[in-house]
Amino acid sequence: MARYAMVTDLRKCVGCQACTVACNSEWEVPTGYARTHVKFTGVAGTFPNLLSSFFVAQCNHCDHPACIDPCPTGATYQAENGIVMVDRNLCIGCGYCVEACPYDARYINPVIKKVDKCDFCSSRIERGLEPACVATCTAHAKFYGDLEEPKSDVYKMVYEQGARRLETAQVAIGPNVYYLGKPEEVDLAFAAFAPHPPRLPRAGELWTTVLRPLVLAAIGATFLGQAVAFFRQLVKGEGLFEDDGEQ
Amino acid sequence: MGLKVSRREFFKRSTAATAVVATSSAAAAGQHPVGWRGATRVETVATNCEMCFWRCGALAEIKDGKVLKLEGNPEHPLTKGRLCARGNSGTKLLYDPDRLKNPMMRTGVRGEGKFRRVSWNEALDFLASRLLDIKTKYGPESVALFPHGVAATFFTTLMRAYGSPNSAEPAFAQCRGPREVGYALTFGRPLGSPEPVDLEESKLIVLIGSHIGENVFTSQVTAFAEGLARGAKLIVVDPRFSVAASKADWWLPIRPGTDIALLLAWMNVLLGEGLYDKEYIGQYAEGLPQLEAHVREFTPEWAEAITELPAHKIRETARAMGAMKPAVALHPGRHTSWYGDDTQRARAMAILTALLGSWGRKGGIFLPTALNVGKPAIPPFPESKRGRADGAGTRFPFASEEQGVTNGLVDATVEEKPYPIKAWIVYGQNVLQSIPQRPKTHEAINKLDLMVVVDVLPMEQIYYADLVLPEATYLERYDFPQIVESAKRPYIALRQPAVSPLYESKPGWWIAKQMARRLGLEAYFPWAGPDEHLETLIRPLGIDPAVLRTCGAVAYEGRPYIKDRLPSDGQLFPTPSGKIELYSSMLKQAGFDPLPRYTSVEDPPPGYFRLIYGRAPVHSFARTQNNAWLDALMHENQVWLATAAARDYGLEDGERVILENQDGARSLPIRVRITAGIRKDCAYMVHGFGHRSRALELAYHRGAADTQLMTRVKVDPIMGGTGLRVNFVRIVKNG
Repeated sequence: MARYAMVTDLRKCVGCQACTVACNSEWEVPTGYARTHVKFTGVAGTFPNLLSSFFVAQCNHCDHPACIDPCPTGATYQAENGIVMVDRNLCIGCGYCVEACPYDARYINPVIKKVDKCDFCSSRIERGLEPACVATCTAHAKFYGDLEEPKSDVYKMVYEQGARRLETAQVAIGPNVYYLGKPEEVDLAFAAFAPHPPRLPRAGELWTTVLRPLVLAAIGATFLGQAVAFFRQLVKGEGLFEDDGEQ
Repeated sequence: MGLKVSRREFFKRSTAATAVVATSSAAAAGQHPVGWRGATRVETVATNCEMCFWRCGALAEIKDGKVLKLEGNPEHPLTKGRLCARGNSGTKLLYDPDRLKNPMMRTGVRGEGKFRRVSWNEALDFLASRLLDIKTKYGPESVALFPHGVAATFFTTLMRAYGSPNSAEPAFAQCRGPREVGYALTFGRPLGSPEPVDLEESKLIVLIGSHIGENVFTSQVTAFAEGLARGAKLIVVDPRFSVAASKADWWLPIRPGTDIALLLAWMNVLLGEGLYDKEYIGQYAEGLPQLEAHVREFTPEWAEAITELPAHKIRETARAMGAMKPAVALHPGRHTSWYGDDTQRARAMAILTALLGSWGRKGGIFLPTALNVGKPAIPPFPESKRGRADGAGTRFPFASEEQGVTNGLVDATVEEKPYPIKAWIVYGQNVLQSIPQRPKTHEAINKLDLMVVVDVLPMEQIYYADLVLPEATYLERYDFPQIVESAKRPYIALRQPAVSPLYESKPGWWIAKQMARRLGLEAYFPWAGPDEHLETLIRPLGIDPAVLRTCGAVAYEGRPYIKDRLPSDGQLFPTPSGKIELYSSMLKQAGFDPLPRYTSVEDPPPGYFRLIYGRAPVHSFARTQNNAWLDALMHENQVWLATAAARDYGLEDGERVILENQDGARSLPIRVRITAGIRKDCAYMVHGFGHRSRALELAYHRGAADTQLMTRVKVDPIMGGTGLRVNFVRIVKNG
């Protein structure tokens, strides 16, 4: 069975944001939100011995996704090929998966009031196209393919060239987005954008055993989700890409 | 996109050889391929992008007359399916609610922004009668054109036909001019655009002030990243820790304005240690003894005192170049008008390129291959008795008379010398945001009897225009096709309308042709419309227009390296001597230094920083700040200050300040970005922000304009280049 993955070669990435906009355009992402975007680490070190890197943020399609169990309706699920999908017909926009994702890869789309995130452009893949971000990458820094396929670029990068994935002692859920680069630059990016533990501890357990049946029945669920999303936005503010800051 | 494969196969068939005679039923019928976007059946129109001037190949996916998405055109010979953030945002320009919608005539005083809507007929009749009037009263030369972009060709033709030689685009004197002249003086031919730098094949890439990555031209970024991935080493000379610098093996944070000293010291090492390409120089170049004698005193130690770069690093990098020659890609830069000595800096870079044997060699600078393009049969242009007003060809002997000197035209308008300029026609540029010395531009505008602006968006300049003509966006119009000879495979690329123009906007070719008709100059536009114009142009190339319409571009075999050249390609080095001129006979004859020499630059006064500027990957000049997607990515610029400098002035990261230059010119408020990644004598900002047009909802008063702080320029006496890095700013807190 296929296991799809993406690799970003940070040695090539120049942070041009072509991927970000191609994705916005492909998926009609509302302005100010993103399914993928490039982050800048800021400059580390002392003049003139400096270091900086980019980091491409998106859904990691983890082997053990933290977002599935908290979903009260089963809208979020993992396909057999590893891609974590959202069934918009089932999504009630409650935002629990948004909180649960350690990589902040999900957002509530304010237009459709449902959760949205990268799905490796599954619908493009079906048509034989590359994901929008890979297809447009000006630096040819982004690669997509099957980790079960030894001839694929991603196989070679992961198993032969040492591409790394962003995990910590606290968050080790098997992300399938990898990064190649000079060790110090990958370290810098990983330190700057380390995942946080899921914000709903033991959420999965709680939901599956007790609350899910209740919520499924409760009409108030939609309202709750919107409330969560609303407050989350209040806390986080807008301007997703502004002032990445320096270290 | 479902039919992408068939498009590809079709393209392969149609461009396999120089002679193109392929057909397919769709192409033969001139139809656009169809495909699917999700469950939606879409038509795809191949065109080229104009979010900047690299003109990448794009495919517009269309449903019910609306562009749903822009994709890169995988069959474009240069850009191969890639679009940058701006290219991907083209639909947000097309559907920008702030677009100019109707022709408008000014009713209030200049600057007030009061207009009345007029019909195209009224607008064009008014314009024609005013132009005829001015011609009678003051002569045709008193009308000046400020053009930019490919469609400008139609307007430059109109101006020449009308009898005015006065056309000047910032692309020359404010941008590529110094490098084009410097390289042409040395090798006999200018570089052209896209610049032919063989980045992907290079073993060593050298960037001097070029910030590839922040300055994004898709195929150049692709080649740069590919070169690095294949193991090329990288030297970056830049006072700022740019994205390119972050990837460099050697980052040389040079003291601004001293690049010529570094270049001379590099030559000193290459010549002194015998590391230059002796065979190549022996065969192709002349002037070596003079050069050797000239650079003998310019040691790395001499340069260290000037550039503030350690002598051992200068030596080390020179040796790296010597070791990896000829596959050294010394990038000539693009915006090169910095300090007024820029042609000489370009000369120094060209000479260094020659010493490394890199010109015309793999991994260096490659050679253009000419395309035989047709020309519409038009009468000769009338001779101008009074000549150009901007000094191109006279005061500035090496300035391009095709492209002119923008600031020279502004000066001529203000001073009414050598004769008064009474009208400006502005097409495809924003004279208030793009040209330095803004007060002077205002003074010039106040002297005009007529100012006409042809534009897509209501930039600040429309507030001063007597007549505003709304142009269709690049996705709604045919333009003069792009003919690129400076590519490894030369190509012709088409811009064709993906959808019909919105509102009452009209394509540039239509506006120019309509004006010509009213001015009795129809003979200069001897084609009924785009189809006929295109056919005239491509007839000698043997392309079926339907193929070009379907594929968007057609490429030919190139001969990029010296070893490939044929006698039909002409002289290898078309200089007076027929050789590479290390020692420039032409400069000497014109009374300039035949060998480049370092002249000292003024340091910032105490309390001031040198103002330097550059680009961000998500914006093009001052053109894209009102684009919703690009605005979301970067909605204001920041002023970069070194950590130590910010501490001295008690500044906090993100704090809003005002910048004041040496002449008291003040910027709009701008946020401080404190970073270790810049020299402490510099303040850096991204160009293009600080718009003052209220009609631009997103861009209005976002960030600050660097051009507002450029009250001073230093003019290159060789070609009229406008050196812009000679301004200093201080920080005004709570300003």
